Amino acid sequence: MAELDRLVHEPGRLAILTVLSSVADADFLFLQRATGLTKGNLSSHLSKLEDAGLVRIDKRFVRKKPQTTLTITDAGRERTARHWEQLEALREQAQAVSASQASQSARRSAASSRVRPA
Amino acid sequence: MQREELEHRAAIHAHLRGALAIPAGLLFGLAALGNEQVGPFRHDWVFLAGLAVLGGAYALIARAYRRHYGRVSPSGGEQLRSVVALVLAVALVYGGSLLLRSRAGFSLDLPVNPIAVTFAIVMLASYAIGRVLRPHHAAVYGMLLAAGALPVWHGEDPSNVALMLCGAAIIACGVLDHIAFTRAFPAPAVDG
Repeated sequence: MAELDRLVHEPGRLAILTVLSSVADADFLFLQRATGLTKGNLSSHLSKLEDAGLVRIDKRFVRKKPQTTLTITDAGRERTARHWEQLEALREQAQAVSASQASQSARRSAASSRVRPA
Repeated sequence: MQREELEHRAAIHAHLRGALAIPAGLLFGLAALGNEQVGPFRHDWVFLAGLAVLGGAYALIARAYRRHYGRVSPSGGEQLRSVVALVLAVALVYGGSLLLRSRAGFSLDLPVNPIAVTFAIVMLASYAIGRVLRPHHAAVYGMLLAAGALPVWHGEDPSNVALMLCGAAIIACGVLDHIAFTRAFPAPAVDG
């Protein structure tokens, strides 16, 4: 099984990328509200994601007020989608193992109740 | 947080900024009063002044949402859904009203309130297309649909009554949407 993407796997960064993958672009405040991260945390994660080329940060002034616009890149979109697929595959594997163990346990208790003396 | 929940945040931001519905709903009421020429509304300038006030209120509320909840540009898929919803809305309200009750030759001429009926269906469909349909939408617009579909609207053209009812429904849903919106976007955490 392929290793999980450690950069994307961090919950805060995964939340950021997942939100950005569903929009054309968003500003810092929307992302903060949508992910529930603090300003400091969000800034830190965005820097890492930008350095890795998964997010593009565009800072400009609109009517003398700073505006930060965030866009996910194609690489970011692809890695995010792949990561969710891996998590889903892991979840299905875990469910299959759990179902198999439950079934084995049920068979063992049925067998032991049959051999018990009256 | 689940993937669907995160991906849904933008749709909630686009469709559930419910405070914007308050001036929009009042506009429906203003239109009805202007049509009926009730009191001061028999003067065109009063209607235009009301329109300007409501437009200003809408702009201020939109700015408040941007200031407190940020700004997001919808994805291509979301924009396409909005266009589809708008085209369907226009077709349904216009065509549906003509079909249900009008002077058109093909009209069924039913004793219903066609604007209330078609508007309710359009609003429910647009919330569903935007993937933000909530129980309170079904309740409010369901009641509007039921009221409009009752075969009691004999006699005069019930369009202005429909506008009042639609305006009230828009405002009611708007208030509840705003509550849902603030719950979906709680105050951000602060750095320790």
